[in-house]
Order: sequence, then C-alpha cells, then structure tokens
Amino acid sequence: MPPFDLKDRAAIAGAGASAYGRRLMRSAIDLAADAIAAALDDAGLARERLDGMIVTFGSPIGADADTLAQVLNLKLRAYNQTWAHGRFTASAIQWAALMVAGGMADYVACLASVSFSGLRRPMMGGAGNSEGAREAGGSHGEDPVFGMTSPGAGAALVARRYFERFGATSAQLAAIPVAFRKHAALNSAAIMREPFSAGDHQASRFVCEPLHLLDYCLINDGAACVIVTSAERARDLRKPPVHIAGMQPLPAGREEFIWAYPGFGVAQQSVFDYDAGAPPVYKMAGVGPRDIDALFTYDAFSILAWMALERFGFCKPGEAAGFTQDGRIELGGALPMNVNGGLLSEAHIMGWNHQVEIVRQLRGECGPRQVAGAEVIQWANAYGDSLIYHR
Amino acid sequence: MAANQDDYAKPRPAISALNRPYWDALRRRELVLQRCGECGMRWYPAAPLCPRCWSRRIEWTPASGRGRVNSWVVFHQSYFRGFDAEIPYNVAEVELEEGPRLLTNLIGVGAGEIRAGMEVEVVFDDAAADLTLAKFRPRRGAA
Repeated sequence: MPPFDLKDRAAIAGAGASAYGRRLMRSAIDLAADAIAAALDDAGLARERLDGMIVTFGSPIGADADTLAQVLNLKLRAYNQTWAHGRFTASAIQWAALMVAGGMADYVACLASVSFSGLRRPMMGGAGNSEGAREAGGSHGEDPVFGMTSPGAGAALVARRYFERFGATSAQLAAIPVAFRKHAALNSAAIMREPFSAGDHQASRFVCEPLHLLDYCLINDGAACVIVTSAERARDLRKPPVHIAGMQPLPAGREEFIWAYPGFGVAQQSVFDYDAGAPPVYKMAGVGPRDIDALFTYDAFSILAWMALERFGFCKPGEAAGFTQDGRIELGGALPMNVNGGLLSEAHIMGWNHQVEIVRQLRGECGPRQVAGAEVIQWANAYGDSLIYHR
Repeated sequence: MAANQDDYAKPRPAISALNRPYWDALRRRELVLQRCGECGMRWYPAAPLCPRCWSRRIEWTPASGRGRVNSWVVFHQSYFRGFDAEIPYNVAEVELEEGPRLLTNLIGVGAGEIRAGMEVEVVFDDAAADLTLAKFRPRRGAA
C-alpha cells in the first residue's frame, strides 16, 4: 500500500477552452488566458484563489507557466512545467493531485496553449524540430541524418511493424479517423467537421507511408485548461466535481517507445508477447475495462488508438484492428472513443481538449454527442499512462 | 574541406564526446558497437556504461555489418531541403545480428520491394569529405 491513498481525493472543479482554429493568428498567452478564465468561471472560482499551475507545452509554441503568472497577474504558490511534448497530460494532473494532497497548492490550473500559426519555423519535423538534435536521438525515433523526422514518422514505423506482425491493413486503420470525424461533426468547437469514408482515407496522400494524411492529427492554435483541487473543496464550487479515481504514471526505459507498448519490438525494445495483465490504474480505481463508459486517448496519429487499446487490455495484441471495426468505438457503440473528435478532428491541444470533454461528458453537458449515462471515463495512452474519472 | 561541408545539404549527426568513436570508425569504413567487457552485451545508442550490468569496462568493437529489416517508412513529404530530390525516400530500422537496431536508408532496393525480415548488409556512404554514413543494401546471396 502507498503511504496515502489518492483514490477520489482529488477532483476536477472546472474545465475551459479557448476557440480552436487552424490559423487564429493570436498569441499563445492570449489563448491561454481565455482557457484559464473559462475554467475558473466554470468552477465559479475567483482568480485570486488560483495558486498553482502546471503547463505541459510551453515556449516557443505555447505560453510558459511563469510567463502566464506574470502577464495575467496570478499569485502562484507552486508551479511546474514539462518540456514541450504532448505526452505529459496525465502526469500534470497526477502531480497536481499530489500538490493538492500535500498542501503545496489548493487550486492548480493544468493546461497547454499552442499557437503554431505564430511560429516562424515549423517544429513538427524538419530543421526546426529540436527532437532530432537530442543526444542519443529523438524520442519518436528522429534521426535527421537519414531524413527521419517528425513524431508521425515514428508512428509510421510502428504502423508498418503492426501491419507486418499482425497482418492488419491501412484500410482497417481507417476506422479510427473515420469514427473520430463522425464525432467531430457533432461538436461545434471542432476544427474539422466534414465526415469522410474509409475510401477517402485510402485515397488521401501519404505523408510518411504507411500513414496517410487522414491518419495525422491537426496542427493548430488553441488552449484548454482544467482546475485540479481536493474533492472536498470541489464540492463547494459551482459544478459537480469530477473525481479522479485511478492514476497510472508515465513509464520510461529501454523497453518503452513513446508510440508502442513493451515487447512490440521497435527502437531498442525486446520482442515478446505483451500481456496487459491488470494495469494498476484499474486496481486503484476499483474498476476494469468493462466498466469504462467512454475511452479517450492521445490520437496524434490513428495507430496510437490501437496501441492504447492493446496496452490497457481492451483487447489482445493484434486484435485492435478487428476490435475497432463496425462502429464499436463510435458514439452508440460498446466503447465510444474520443467523442470530442480527438486530436485528429477536434483540435490538437496536447490532450487537454480531451480532459475538458471528459469533464463535460461526466456532467452530461455534451448535447448531441453525449454518451448516455456516462459515469466512468478513462484516459489511457499508447505510452502507458492513464487516469480514470467518475462523477 | 569547408567547401565540402557547405555543399552537404542534409542534416549532420550530433557528434558528442560519447558517440564520436562511432562516427570516427565510419570514416575508416568500419561499423562499430560498444561491447561490455564484463557481460558481453552490445548496444546502441552510445552509453557511458553497460546498460545491463553498469560496468565501465566497455570498448568499441567491430560489428558484422549484417542485419535484417525490422520496420521501415517511406517519406512522401519534404521536411529537409537536402532530401527533396530523393522523395519518396525510405528510412529503415535495421536489426543488426548483434541485436541493436539502427535507423538508416536502404539503397539498391525500390520502396515497394522492401520487406520485413529482408537480409541486409552495411554500405559505407561517403556523404561528405568529413562524413561517412552507414547505409544498408539487400545482402548478396541471401535468401
């Protein structure tokens, strides 16, 4: 047993977002201000009470935490920030829960803002991609010497291996972006809302083969924020608390590759038959995969949805290709996924837009795309971290 | 020398004190990997100690240069001016006989002919006057 149990001790008290768009031509600081103000308003919390912040994607694309504190005149007792990667969403919420439990802050704004349109040099691949310059290589497999660049290329390497190892096809993978686009069509905040077919997916150009353009998420502008506090404090605020029942932290090591679970056999991973076993997030929350009413995942590239499903035991390795067919992951299916439209179609706010959607779903605020009777929703990722939320 | 460096339009490796022996060996047309003097492990990328037993008794020793294609991608989009003329170009992950995997470009094989498990061997590509790259081609006489 851990020294103290965090199950249901922390909650999301407020969630908010800026507008999302391809080219808003607004400062990341401006977008972040919209998201923070919207989250505070949602919680019914005065800004003077906000005393903590964690940012997961800062300069030069997003606004840094210390910048926001200064420019927006926030008095933060505690703040932290990860380096500019999308993978730290659950980490930030977990650390915020620890900060709140330890009395380091009472209300922690967790967020990212991005303004890709304001950037002079493209960062997602090419000479502006600092990942490729990291000693010992980039974390998505970047090796610019051989032209290997961009997070999507690492996902393409995983997709090719998946197709080869399990006999799956790109045509099956189409089910992921097709489903998420259907969801985005029901979401007025989503950037891309026009439905497309599996055939359209197959006909779209290759970016990094075997991934097509429609396997790639958006590169866009926007900000999204949630406010973490104790469950006790959350009860006294404007909206019903969304409790954090389960947490599984982000692993690292030689057996990990950001887009693949252990045993998959890319980068320097070993090759073995992965067995999800009983992921700790379910043990902590006291539920299992069958209790999950909706699943949200970091879908920067469509293949990541398959990897997340297999990593967390929704199906066995190699089975996600079949599991995701015939509407199972669509609204009304047995396991609706990324009902907001995901990074693929709503917006790429580093997963923070997904957290905002989870909160709204659990409050029943989602209108035409509401998951009926949603009580337990999971955030679970190809790279192995997870959160389980409930009303 | 300087003129040659300027002529090379592709990204250059990030050579550090740690991985310099790898790049220096390629200049001599040798593919080398680190090897642990205690437990015999071979690995990539360069590490200051053996990743398995943490021994500091490590050395750079020649690798066979033979391996198999583990996975691969084909770039249809340009990210670097230096690669523009080669689009669509492949990037392959080759698993060496010794175990570690290297990213590389396969030469002498069309993008549509690349197969998982294909046996390949190293080719030393003198990319610039001061830079040799380890590329791979289908192994002659391999099944």
